[in-house]
Amino acid sequence: MLKTLESAVPVACWSCSVAHNDFTLFCPHCSKIQPPPGGDYFAVFGLEPRLNLDLPALEKEFHRLSRKLHPDRFARSGEHERQWSLADTALLNDAYRTLKDPLRRTEYLLKLRGAEIGEEAAADGNSRKDPSRAPADLLEEVFELNMQLDELREAHAAGEESAALESSLAAAKQKFEALLAEVDRDLRQQWQAWDAGDETAREAAQKAMMALLDRRRYLSNLVRDVTGTLGA
Amino acid sequence: MAYSDKVVDHYNNPRNVGTLDKNAQEVGTGLVGAPECGDVMRLQIRVNPETQVIEEAKFKTFGCGSAIASSSLATEWIKGRTVEDALAIKNTDIVKELSLPPVKIHCSVLAEDAIRAAIGDWKKKNGAAEAAHAETSAAK
Repeated sequence: MLKTLESAVPVACWSCSVAHNDFTLFCPHCSKIQPPPGGDYFAVFGLEPRLNLDLPALEKEFHRLSRKLHPDRFARSGEHERQWSLADTALLNDAYRTLKDPLRRTEYLLKLRGAEIGEEAAADGNSRKDPSRAPADLLEEVFELNMQLDELREAHAAGEESAALESSLAAAKQKFEALLAEVDRDLRQQWQAWDAGDETAREAAQKAMMALLDRRRYLSNLVRDVTGTLGA
Repeated sequence: MAYSDKVVDHYNNPRNVGTLDKNAQEVGTGLVGAPECGDVMRLQIRVNPETQVIEEAKFKTFGCGSAIASSSLATEWIKGRTVEDALAIKNTDIVKELSLPPVKIHCSVLAEDAIRAAIGDWKKKNGAAEAAHAETSAAK
């Protein structure tokens, strides 16, 4: 797992030998570019892991660092510095893309905290051994919504061009999107709880966020399918 | 990602899509989901109470091609087997048959879970009935 700021280990700058923490892109002493740091994406921006981020400030810092790291500025530097400017830029881009997106940021933070997320992590089926990850009532609800949508889609595919069908589909889309918006509201509440909480509160918030992200995936599939049907 | 021919075949011609009466005594229903990708799968079996043989199997899956193929294949495999035989089917058998890539292995896990859930539901319905029957006969 990646290290976070709290566990910063000092390393010596390759250029001036003064020790600095391992998470910085530039030596605080001599300002020389450093090899890709060993910290997490938050640390790239000098931040503690947080779910509520000041996005305009993040964007500004991203542009500032992008300019400082730009390979053009290292065209006449040594081989190492030229390579580091490329590697650091790639890291900065990944970090920014992940942190600016609310869902990716949430999933990233949960992964940092040891959660298994994603289809690769699913291969062992561990998530289904945890009953809180697949509550029966959620499955019933999602299956039922899918069945309703399926009926509408079949009628649609059969060329039934009734205004009633179109409006049922539109209503279904609205319903799924409303459910999704509800999940996003709940997620934001858990962000607050995580950011402000102690370790116990964070554990609880993480559990709640995992459940909300699961629900969100079922619902966003429904939104995707209904949108696809309406667009077809 | 390219799907194997067998996945494409099951996807285009899924076997045993449908619904059985979930309230019927001899029907077991398994409803499972993969929270990682949002797939849901329902698998149902109708078991002959005399022989314990699964005489009918139906499924309905909302998900990717691999999930549909895995459940379609699962219904083909369990039909005609006894309940105990069906429990011997492993997700790795499905992975092999369909040549699923690592990222889709969880679809086969989902199908195995669905078989187990359906059989579990059937056992609960009928085991409970048997136990109740045994109790009443013991009371006599």
